[in-house]
Amino acid sequence: MSKESQALAKEAQSKQPLTKNQVIDKLLNNALYILMIIAVIIIQIINPKFLAPASLINILNQTAAYLPAALGIAGCIVLTGTDLSAGRAIGLTACISASLLQNPESANKMWTAIGCLPIPVVILIVMAIGAVIGIFNGFFVAKFKLHPFIVTLATQLILFTFMLTYVKMGNNNGMAIASLDNSYSNFIKGSLVKIPTGNNTSIPIPNYVWISLFLVVMMWFIWNKTTFGKNMFALGANEEAAKVSGVNVMLTTIAVFALAGAMYGITGFIEGARVASNNANTGLNYELDAIAACVIGGVSFVGGIGKISGVVIGVLLLRLIYIGLNFAHVPPDMFYLVKGGIILFACALDMRKYLVKK
Amino acid sequence: MKKKLALALAATMAFSIFTGCGPKEPAPAGSSNPPAVSGSQSKPQTSDLKAAVFYYNFADPYITTVRTAMDKELKALGIEHQNFDATTNQGLQTDQVNTAITDGYNLLIINVVDNAAPDAAQAMVNAAKEKNIPVILFNREVDDSVIKSYEASAFVGTDAPEAGHMQGKMIGEYLLANYDKYDLNGDGEISYVMFKGQEGNAEAEARTQYAVEDADAMLKEAGKPALKFYDAKNDKKYLVDQTGAWGAQAATDYMSVIMSEYNDANKNMVELVIANNDGMAEGAISALQGVGFNNDASKAIPVFGVDALASACEKIDAGQMAGTVKQDGEAMAATIAALVKNIQNGAAIMDNTSSYNVDEGVAKIRVPYALYTK
Repeated sequence: MSKESQALAKEAQSKQPLTKNQVIDKLLNNALYILMIIAVIIIQIINPKFLAPASLINILNQTAAYLPAALGIAGCIVLTGTDLSAGRAIGLTACISASLLQNPESANKMWTAIGCLPIPVVILIVMAIGAVIGIFNGFFVAKFKLHPFIVTLATQLILFTFMLTYVKMGNNNGMAIASLDNSYSNFIKGSLVKIPTGNNTSIPIPNYVWISLFLVVMMWFIWNKTTFGKNMFALGANEEAAKVSGVNVMLTTIAVFALAGAMYGITGFIEGARVASNNANTGLNYELDAIAACVIGGVSFVGGIGKISGVVIGVLLLRLIYIGLNFAHVPPDMFYLVKGGIILFACALDMRKYLVKK
Repeated sequence: MKKKLALALAATMAFSIFTGCGPKEPAPAGSSNPPAVSGSQSKPQTSDLKAAVFYYNFADPYITTVRTAMDKELKALGIEHQNFDATTNQGLQTDQVNTAITDGYNLLIINVVDNAAPDAAQAMVNAAKEKNIPVILFNREVDDSVIKSYEASAFVGTDAPEAGHMQGKMIGEYLLANYDKYDLNGDGEISYVMFKGQEGNAEAEARTQYAVEDADAMLKEAGKPALKFYDAKNDKKYLVDQTGAWGAQAATDYMSVIMSEYNDANKNMVELVIANNDGMAEGAISALQGVGFNNDASKAIPVFGVDALASACEKIDAGQMAGTVKQDGEAMAATIAALVKNIQNGAAIMDNTSSYNVDEGVAKIRVPYALYTK
């Protein structure tokens, strides 16, 4: 069905009164959002501070912190792939960012020969490192037709060696990489905008929220308004068809992974200062949260399907669960049950749409 | 044709079993007498010792300092050695130990992964005992029964509860020095957060328990109320890194959630942070800085850690952190090296250790902790 005829069909449908089945369909299709709203209401009743300004801003902050990695990984999922190397790539770039931006006065500076580099230079360095990791992944996926699961699993392991080696280099001796320069801390954690809450108090919004917002807009543009974005979806939906219609499969695949890698670089740059104590464990399992967020947000492993808004909602939902369960004083042991349940539920709902179509 | 090939293969395999065993035969025999056990036997050559060092997790910053120091010590003793990373997986470590034994290593230095029960350590010590290979366990506490089961084994570690006791005493003294200043909302009580590194780890359990207990005892003696966990609904009175990694990120995320509910504006600001290690303390400080606290001493709540990572000491000097307990990785490696030297010289494993702090009735050496405050 072409887009026009789809739109026509929709219009025709909307004019008719809804049947009972359609109502159920509508409810089921939006069940995740409905549940999310119910959950928020329940948590708010248990703990009225949940929707206070300070808490809302914290939800926003944490969503922003976990968003860039998910934006990157979403592209890999659109290609029916995945990226297991994301966490280690984030960890490595976090360690590198932190080590290049340590306070020159610090006694335990990792690289004593260099001062504190300019921030834009470091951003470019870590983005480049991320992109190289992505190109490596993409090359093996595209050239040898290996499943991304395998390639990125291998990359994840390889990167861990790099990390273990890196934290022992220079002066660092395996210690946590901290003692960050103020320019770096302020760039990420400082705030240009503060939300006044009366009584002369205000809640700062850390700058990395704006970085995240910028990335969302940029990724939306890339996905929806560029040839590359269209090629990516075409390739994800049907590789043969895409090839026949002239999409360069090799180049597109590599570019998707490289873009994802650059996103991990930025995530690492943010996390390096946000957590402010980096070691070889940094970034562990980040990819799992990012993948979970994508599938909750409707980026489908079927391929060729997904929206940036879905990714944002997926990340937000995962953070809502984490923060909400904390606020509701649910024992942390239960968190994983809830998280697992929601992932399963979201994906089942997602697949239901395609099963109906078939 | 295929049959012939299979036969030939089988023959070579059978042959290789014999030849494979052949040169190795003397090795176990050799290792069965000299390296450790008693001093009466002939002194082995330096090159006879081939050490395998097993770490629970390469990614742990403190363990990495031990590893770097140990590499140097063993090299100085002229001992060929190989490091193994168990990546927090006990099953993997047990396999590594068994493989190393078959590979002809004749000295095992093990940082046990799973010490919640003695079984894993016991199994590894038993495997070594069977081949008469001396074993030095270190860092993560093992049960006395494990060490007692084999005369050529010893443990080098810290006294796990000591770090907790020292942290508690440090906290008590720190608070009492200026109680009203730290009681931000003036309700007469100090509310605190406790970050625990891992469930079921002896060190984490001891630190979590004693840091608060000892501080409470000191406060009580001075006529002050006990510390109050910030969240009355949490019976455990701690927040744990669910991944068991003692990680800074878990602390940052917890702390930023806490700060959104318990803050200055709500007049219920958390007034004290106690963390099982410096990484978690640093993570908590990062979140505190996000809400304008702990950038310097002028507006800060006391944060305490353990390990004395270089970066944490620097934070203490800058007034962003209150104190830490130093766990000396280099001293640990040096102590292990002293035992290795005994084995190298054909002496008993615990010879010449009178200058160390040794447990009574069991071969366990305790490397002391030290305080680090401003």
